[in-house]
Amino acid sequence: MSSTTNPNTEHAPSFGSYPRTTIAVISLALLLAFSFSSLRGDTWVGLLSFFEWMETTWFGYVGKTWGGAFALIQAAHLVSLGVLGGAVLFSDGRLLGLFSSLPIRDVVDGAHRVFVWALAVVVGTGVFMVCGVAVKVYYLPVFWYKMLTLAVGVLFALFIRKPLVDREISEVNPKIVKLVAVASIMVWFTVAATGRWIGFS
Amino acid sequence: MNQFIYDIAVWFDDTAWSTAIHESYYLYNWIESTHVLTLMLSLGILFLIDMRMLGWALPNVPATRLAERLNTPMLIGFVVMFVTGFLLLYAVPVRSSQSLWFRIKMVLLVVCAVNAYLFHKRMTQSIQTWEHEPRAPSALRRGAAISLAFWTVIVICGRFIAYDWYDCEYAQPDLVRAIAGCVDGQTRF
Repeated sequence: MSSTTNPNTEHAPSFGSYPRTTIAVISLALLLAFSFSSLRGDTWVGLLSFFEWMETTWFGYVGKTWGGAFALIQAAHLVSLGVLGGAVLFSDGRLLGLFSSLPIRDVVDGAHRVFVWALAVVVGTGVFMVCGVAVKVYYLPVFWYKMLTLAVGVLFALFIRKPLVDREISEVNPKIVKLVAVASIMVWFTVAATGRWIGFS
Repeated sequence: MNQFIYDIAVWFDDTAWSTAIHESYYLYNWIESTHVLTLMLSLGILFLIDMRMLGWALPNVPATRLAERLNTPMLIGFVVMFVTGFLLLYAVPVRSSQSLWFRIKMVLLVVCAVNAYLFHKRMTQSIQTWEHEPRAPSALRRGAAISLAFWTVIVICGRFIAYDWYDCEYAQPDLVRAIAGCVDGQTRF
């Protein structure tokens, strides 16, 4: 990967040629180290009061009191997840060489804007849903797997994939582009699958 | 008609495969998860096309070429959704076929299929005039808006099927009983 056209190189020389990617990799490593350390248990215990407070909020009250409102927000969560997934599949599919008659720059940039909006709705509706059943999900391991994969997905999308596709894509090693596209699809599929599994737990 | 649907549902319910899927924790959940996760392939891509037509997304991507290229993956997604959706109905046939939400969902699916057909027809007839415009002509935008709205309601109905607010086993208003097709004397769910 050439660093001459990389906008990342201009303002953060202390992180080398790829500052956003370096920060994302360090964050991911810290996140994984935290997940497997004893610190995780202490943090988890400390978070219980926060989750109990979430149930007392207006979101928590509405979520617990009106099943219809909760189901409507669930539906909005699903629709936005579908749009997020569509944007990921379309953009990463293009990076993998599908839909080759469509302009790659317009596809990647346009799909990223859709992705960001959909992610905002997914997170917003997700927070509402958690408030309704906060203490229940607090004790579900799969909820924490979902939070972990979501954090990984956001870090990956914004700090690894985005800087890469912001470059002139034809100048980036095609194997790296394809690797990032496959990883992106897998990460967001895992986010969606773990989210679905919360409902079965 | 309702008696006919009920008889078919009972016939499904009596088959060993229906019971096997219904009673298998993992198989039922795998089918349901596949049904939901395929939203990303079917509905997600459909909404991208609709939003492009409305001028909300991907304004620089040629509109009809986008729709043509995304048609195949979207249809694959819908085929998976219909197959898994049928398996979910087959696993819980009596309750599902007499669900108010399920019936609304089926009607809207037909409406969306007709809308998609008309949309495609109009699109192929008018390609030359607006391919690179950020928004499609008004007739196509109307079709895209209908698609977005109705598919959103379909997802809502799908979500509501899980709730028993209007199930036939409870006392319901006559209108609900009529739409849900409650059959007197039904003994199983």
